[in-house]
Amino acid sequence: MSAAKSLSICHLFPEALNLYGDGGNILTLAKRLEWRGIEARVREVSLSERPHFADFDLVFIGGGSDREQRIVCERLLAQKAELKAFTDDGGALLAVCGGYQLLGHSYVMGEETLEGLSLIDLTTDRGSPRLIGNIAIESDVCAHPIVGYENHGGRTHLGEGVKPLGKVAFGHGNDGKTGEEGAVSGTILGTYIHGPLLPKNPGVADWVLARALEHRYGTAELEPLDDSVELAANRVMYTRLMRGEEKE
Amino acid sequence: MGLRAAISRGTGRATSRLLRLLGRNASQLPGRVALALDPKLLASLAPSLSEGAVVVCGTNGKTTTTNVLARAAQEAGFTVDCNWRGANMLAGITSAMLFDKGADWAVMEADELSCVHVLPQLKPRWLVLLNLFRDQLDRAGEIDHVQDSLVEALASSPSTGLVVCGDDPLSVGVARRAAATGTQVLAFGIDETLPPPPDRVPEARFCQVCGTELGYAWRAYAQLGDFSCPACDFARPPLDFRARGISVASEGVSFEVADAHGDPLAEVEAGFGGMYMVYNLLGAFAAATLMGISPEAFAKALSSYDPKNGRLQHYRLDGREIVLNLAKNPTGFNQNISLMLADERPKAAFFVINDDYNDGKDISWIWDVDFERLAEEAKAGRLHVVAGGHRANDVQVRMKYAGMEAPIASTVSEALRALETMEGEGAESPEPLYALCNYSALWPAKAELDREAEAL
Repeated sequence: MSAAKSLSICHLFPEALNLYGDGGNILTLAKRLEWRGIEARVREVSLSERPHFADFDLVFIGGGSDREQRIVCERLLAQKAELKAFTDDGGALLAVCGGYQLLGHSYVMGEETLEGLSLIDLTTDRGSPRLIGNIAIESDVCAHPIVGYENHGGRTHLGEGVKPLGKVAFGHGNDGKTGEEGAVSGTILGTYIHGPLLPKNPGVADWVLARALEHRYGTAELEPLDDSVELAANRVMYTRLMRGEEKE
Repeated sequence: MGLRAAISRGTGRATSRLLRLLGRNASQLPGRVALALDPKLLASLAPSLSEGAVVVCGTNGKTTTTNVLARAAQEAGFTVDCNWRGANMLAGITSAMLFDKGADWAVMEADELSCVHVLPQLKPRWLVLLNLFRDQLDRAGEIDHVQDSLVEALASSPSTGLVVCGDDPLSVGVARRAAATGTQVLAFGIDETLPPPPDRVPEARFCQVCGTELGYAWRAYAQLGDFSCPACDFARPPLDFRARGISVASEGVSFEVADAHGDPLAEVEAGFGGMYMVYNLLGAFAAATLMGISPEAFAKALSSYDPKNGRLQHYRLDGREIVLNLAKNPTGFNQNISLMLADERPKAAFFVINDDYNDGKDISWIWDVDFERLAEEAKAGRLHVVAGGHRANDVQVRMKYAGMEAPIASTVSEALRALETMEGEGAESPEPLYALCNYSALWPAKAELDREAEAL
């Protein structure tokens, strides 16, 4: 019997939620476990399956096009209580872009207001124009700034007392006005920073992995890794943005 | 031609002459200046074409397909206006027609989202739709939006027939909607079962009509193949131009084209490209046939095809073979990786990614490229990778997570120096280098190679 640790990661509906290189986030989670000698068991759960959330330590919801996101939300609403039980139990949930919008009470698609999963006290409506471009935020989940790309028509409003993921240093964030980006609640992290959020932001990856390890083993000790390549890419982009790159 | 159009054309021509005199690029600005004076100038220029126009669009392969088709038309004895260098928005196409003296044909590539501006003015006889892949989501938006725009473009020019890749569910989705409003549709595709490709279906896994996941009898690459929906009647249409007897090797591609009844029309052979080139050449052949170009003229154009436009261009520098190619989205990159793996020699790669406006500012898509397919070669010491471009650091991170170390270089010659270090003393001969660049990264690399290297 091996004493090696192992975590179960649920990649929700990759056939529908695969916009903007979302696979990069799963790859990053798996590699950063592997490099520490922890087994990563990644399950791709397709739309035709009914995931058993209690089996997992970490659930990832990516972004999809409008049409696909609606299908996904209908699918997840049918398991709203199970997903809530999973996060109440300390399971880690990472939701990006369209997936982030699903976490709230409601979101708007076209003219319609659709019910969300109500996992975090937030709502999303739509605004014009779309908020597009490189983004950098300062967050207390990690020591380095978080850099990436955002592209969303939604304007997300956090409820009273809900903690944002960070403060916008460059870009738009939740609604383009409050200077706040994303939301963190317990073991749930949601953000508009899409696609390869985790590769260039190793601190965010490790925050999510730490929550998953706590869920499984009660402690969140992560051996440090050599992140010089990741942090160099992070710094290059952060510096470029802070030097006043033109906004789109 | 009205006075306004005449003044606009004259000003555009003068701008063009001035730019050429200054040794500057005249592929866009003259058209832009002319369009500022008369936004409908193209509509005034189009009637002087004695035969008409053909427009080529699609995410990947536009420039090559357009160049092959225009060359074939010239071989057949036609005079041709063409945006050879790929300036494919309304201004570029107008620029390419400014000096028209009654050419027989205009053969133009058009950006997918520019068709809606180009078609109502140019009113081409045919629109060739090669494929639709995810590309530049920040600029082009989701594929749904590109499809809507193409349907609108075809509706604005009812006399334009659509020549569509029947193996691409996304392009067929457009064709189906256009046909419903009266557009004539002809389809081309592959008429034999292919072995399973190494890539995954990155997009368009769902039926364009009912949303059910599509099934495939076989697949060529990406979402291209013999598809059908298990729940409704959405499926690959009957093919009017069929490719069979396909051979794809590192030396190039060859296949036979047959008509709707399966009767052979011609053999097509080209000394370049992979599976994607079969589709480009088949699309070009279909359009050529519809334009009345003989298979012989088409073959002659192909055998002398050497556009020197940075697409699969071969060089030699310091005894090293260098292959330069454009790769600007996941499908294009995955096809290039297939090309590299078909080359059995130990080799090197220089992946160059910029994020200028023309490239798309968002390069998240590099995580959708299956670089992992190269890891085994790299591990065995049979592949060395160098990262380049404005986003070299992102490429380096991507390589790390694919299991490969990649130093950063800012030019081709810097990449060569890095490779010499990696190959070490004992290397028998320098590894062939595949320099794969996205759009704005291609031109500096090409300029450097044109200057420093011997063209092959």
